[in-house]
Amino acid sequence: MAVIDPTMLMNIFLIGISGTLICLAVHFIPVGGAPAAMAQATGIGTGTVELAAGSGLVGLITSSYMYAYEPAASMTLVMAAGAMGAAIMLASTMLAGGYIYAYGVAVPFASAQVKKDPITRERQDIYVSKGTQGQGIPTICFVSGVVGSGLGGAGGGLIYFVLMGIYSPLIAASAAAVAGVFTMGVFYVNSVIPSYGVGGTIEGVHDPKFRRVVPKDVLTSFVVSIICGVIAIMITGGMS
Amino acid sequence: MILDLTMSMAVLALMGALATIAGCIEDLESDVGSQSNPNSQVQLAPQMGFLHRIYNKAISGEPISNGLSAVTGGLVTTVLLDAKFYALTAIVLGAFVAALIYGIFATTAYAGRVASQSRFKQPLYMDIMRYTTPSIIGHNFIVNFCLVAIAYIQYAILGYPFTIPFLALIWGISVGAIGSSVGDVHYGGEREFQNREFGCGLNTALSGRIVRRAESGLRNSIDNVWFCAKFGGPATGIALGLTVFFSSWPTTIWGYTWKAMGVGAIILAVMTIMNRLLEIQVKNAYGPYKEDKKEKEAGA
Repeated sequence: MAVIDPTMLMNIFLIGISGTLICLAVHFIPVGGAPAAMAQATGIGTGTVELAAGSGLVGLITSSYMYAYEPAASMTLVMAAGAMGAAIMLASTMLAGGYIYAYGVAVPFASAQVKKDPITRERQDIYVSKGTQGQGIPTICFVSGVVGSGLGGAGGGLIYFVLMGIYSPLIAASAAAVAGVFTMGVFYVNSVIPSYGVGGTIEGVHDPKFRRVVPKDVLTSFVVSIICGVIAIMITGGMS
Repeated sequence: MILDLTMSMAVLALMGALATIAGCIEDLESDVGSQSNPNSQVQLAPQMGFLHRIYNKAISGEPISNGLSAVTGGLVTTVLLDAKFYALTAIVLGAFVAALIYGIFATTAYAGRVASQSRFKQPLYMDIMRYTTPSIIGHNFIVNFCLVAIAYIQYAILGYPFTIPFLALIWGISVGAIGSSVGDVHYGGEREFQNREFGCGLNTALSGRIVRRAESGLRNSIDNVWFCAKFGGPATGIALGLTVFFSSWPTTIWGYTWKAMGVGAIILAVMTIMNRLLEIQVKNAYGPYKEDKKEKEAGA
């Protein structure tokens, strides 16, 4: 049976790993949710799912193009292409968002979760305005977001690479479409799982919430992604 | 299609320009229709006793509604292209059909949301619906046109492996995510609470107390989009333009190599430094909200 073939098991395992990477990535991204849209919380003013999927899917475009035009590209290069696309999307978003916080709302960037920025060593608490949970995107949040989106993009690139390897011999013409849609599905699944853990907002790697929720979320994500991997293999039964 | 370097850069520049327009207009569409996170305040205001004349649609999160709209446009365009329509005609018609469907969603969402607030005596203003909905459709048409055009260029000229609707869906989700993260802060953080001192920070206790009077008369969503078009919209456009341009520029110049990945990393480092410079400038310009206790004692 194909499922117990070692190559297939390895593929399922790799899909599990890539899903886990996406889940881990979401925790790195400074998501401020609705409060951040009103400059009442540190981070980017939208939800985890929107942001992780939005950046990760840009990574999917770059990695798929890389895969299509460099068939000999190694798995790491396809992952790097995904990471680069996703990280550039999030960095552009955070930078432009920063300009709005700076000149449109006129609030200094401050994290409410730490007293000092772990990178710049600057005081944060005195810049937090009254009645808020911080505002803007301080350096630690920016760096954490870039790293996180890079991880998510790499995870997306990995799933796409694995799925193309499985589907291409069976349905050469539409393998990219099936692999792309499936990757998008895995992205959404693994962006939703951390939403429950982080409860809508997280500032990034320095947030105490990060250490508290990452182990549970990552384990959940790995199990769920393995199931996604099994389904990815099972649907090949109908391909010919 | 294999393009030489000059042509590749020209195509990339065109895509960047289309993305900049799409990003800008998407944010303005979300302001004129009041969607995404800042709409929570518009929704909350009547519950706090602040009745208003602001459009209140929020079909769904911005990425999903824009993804739906873009994929609809992409799908119609693909069908028309198969029927041997000219590419530009197909894209325009596809974007128009998607914008009309979006307008239907906007109308039902506005009516539904206001109807659910009848116990708070929030009226459904028919004049607001009549002249704001066409503006929403118009904005959405431009967004769809730009996104489907990008998808068409990527599919037909650059030879991306995904189809036009799928590429349009991805760009729709991305433009929504960026619009929601960038431009909406200008609407939610500043425009909705403009009667507070500029830069005072927004205490959560202010939730729902949105500004309801305009520069002249009562404020409506057209007034909001007029204000946000000055900064929030263009900033969103720049973010999407940078995303589209810089995610492809390294591989266009240096090919599919590790060198291109290295250049991508340098771009990220430059952006991080720019953010840090911005942070320093803002902190120096505005100063802290409260003094440190030790500094206070030393001063005394």
